[in-house]
Amino acid sequence: MSEHLRVLVADDDPLIRMALSEVLEAEADLHVVAIAEDAEQAADLAAVHTPDVAVLDVRMPCGGGTRAAREIRIRSPRTQLLAFSAYDDSGAAEELKRLGVREYLIKGITNKEIVAAVRRAGAAVRA
Amino acid sequence: MRPEDGYRLLVHSVSDYGIFMLDPTGHILSWNIGAERIKGYREEEILGQHFSVFYPAEDIAAGVPERMLRQAIDDGHLEAEGWRVRKDGTRFWANIVITALFDGTGKLRGFGKVTRDMTERRAAEEALRESEERFRLLVHGVLDYGIFMLDPSGRIISWNDGAERIKGYREDEIIGQHFSVFYPPEDIAADKPGRELTQAVADGRLEDEGWRVRKDGTRFWANVVITALFDETGELRGFGKVTRDMTEHRAAEQALIERRRLLNHLVEAQELERRRIAWDVHDDSIQAMVAVGMRLQLLADRVPDENQPLVLQLEDSVRTSVARLRNLVVHLRPTAIDQHGLIAALDGYLRDVVAGWELETSLSADLASEPPLPVAITIFRICQEALTNVRKHARATRVDVTLHSKDSGTLVRISDDGVGFPDPVPENPYQQFGLLEMRERAETAGGWWAATTSETGSTVQFWLPSVSIVDEEPT
Repeated sequence: MSEHLRVLVADDDPLIRMALSEVLEAEADLHVVAIAEDAEQAADLAAVHTPDVAVLDVRMPCGGGTRAAREIRIRSPRTQLLAFSAYDDSGAAEELKRLGVREYLIKGITNKEIVAAVRRAGAAVRA
Repeated sequence: MRPEDGYRLLVHSVSDYGIFMLDPTGHILSWNIGAERIKGYREEEILGQHFSVFYPAEDIAAGVPERMLRQAIDDGHLEAEGWRVRKDGTRFWANIVITALFDGTGKLRGFGKVTRDMTERRAAEEALRESEERFRLLVHGVLDYGIFMLDPSGRIISWNDGAERIKGYREDEIIGQHFSVFYPPEDIAADKPGRELTQAVADGRLEDEGWRVRKDGTRFWANVVITALFDETGELRGFGKVTRDMTEHRAAEQALIERRRLLNHLVEAQELERRRIAWDVHDDSIQAMVAVGMRLQLLADRVPDENQPLVLQLEDSVRTSVARLRNLVVHLRPTAIDQHGLIAALDGYLRDVVAGWELETSLSADLASEPPLPVAITIFRICQEALTNVRKHARATRVDVTLHSKDSGTLVRISDDGVGFPDPVPENPYQQFGLLEMRERAETAGGWWAATTSETGSTVQFWLPSVSIVDEEPT
């Protein structure tokens, strides 16, 4: 087991993808192993890389965060899931919780909060 | 008591009829209570006087009393009506019967005379005749309604000025014609006139709206009421027909429907466009700003210490901009309304936007079902406008929003505890516009809108049906 937390980032917005990756990569203990542009890619890359944590956009092509979460649970069961959304969508939040998503992060929270959430999820994998 | 005495007593005491005897020359021989009541003479005053004393001077001069006696002798009997004179000189309208009385040998013994005061009945008849005449004149002169009569077979037997104005026929042209001349050929082919009469007979009355034809062949949109007229024995005597030209009314109605349809389309187009812009801002602009914010935070850790405050300040501005853009999105189109319905959207709006205006808010909803999306959006928009009004004008500290299902629709109330809004506000056309816009939106959706205001607060109330009336109108 690596000492880094291995993270998958999935978002259809290239600016968010890039910013989120940079934020995570800036932390010594985090490593972004895969970047996906939609739900299908996220599931495929998760199956290949079996990351510790996947940060999933809620609204993205090919089924959104819910499809990505459902498939990753099957194809990489040990990956911990986080949702990252542009709006406070309590309906989607409920469904994502049922699919095993640990935390629901609203875009606009500070980098520190994002990093902390990823570390909490990672701790659950290592536990 | 002998029978003769009995008759005398009976006749004497009858008070509704003056019954008395005349000798062969016309002098009064007997008198009764009725005669005294009607004519005003006591028995002792009148016995022996000639009966012509009851006649007006002009009748006496014309020899009417003598002529009457002669005719009674010739025919044995005479009945007449005419003016008579009381003792006090006043006149009354009398019905009289004079019977010549002959003995067994055929000799004239005198006359029996029965008089009845018909003044009241005559007055009543006169009043009735006058009233009928006035009514006839009224009906004849009415211009806004064609009012005329049909005989039982449907032929026209009377006509008024309104009918002439509406249909273009003069009275002398149309009397005697069948009323089917007013119907378009397609209705005649379908025997509509005949069916309408049959139905009027069956139901007593029939109301119809449809095209009718004027004398010049042009059509007009008519409202028609046909009433079957039966006499006291139940026999059909004909029909009363009242026709109104509704062409202008109908045109105005259609114009209103058309206007509402256009407004509805306008509102729909506006909503669609707002929604598109809202999603664009939401999915694109906000995401980009969020990404910029995240990278500014990274940058702050990497720049020399003296520049760090500047970058953090910049990052803070970006955060504020994101918050503003989110408000803009909610204002443009509460994305929640598409996904979670009206109540969630209103709740979000009160929490995220209205609470920021330092207003305490409450929302209570009791809806049997979620209104259709277009109705929900209209409700949301009117609430938004009403709440904006509260913010701008009411100086309120709290506002309560309630929604109930009522009469197949939704009743919404927005109450505040502010100072009320003056009405009307000529110096503030924007406020006026806001009220007008709310009302117009509600009415366009087929509902109603009302505002009440006092020094202790204002309430805006409106109701919208769950089905849009505009969509139901045939095109």
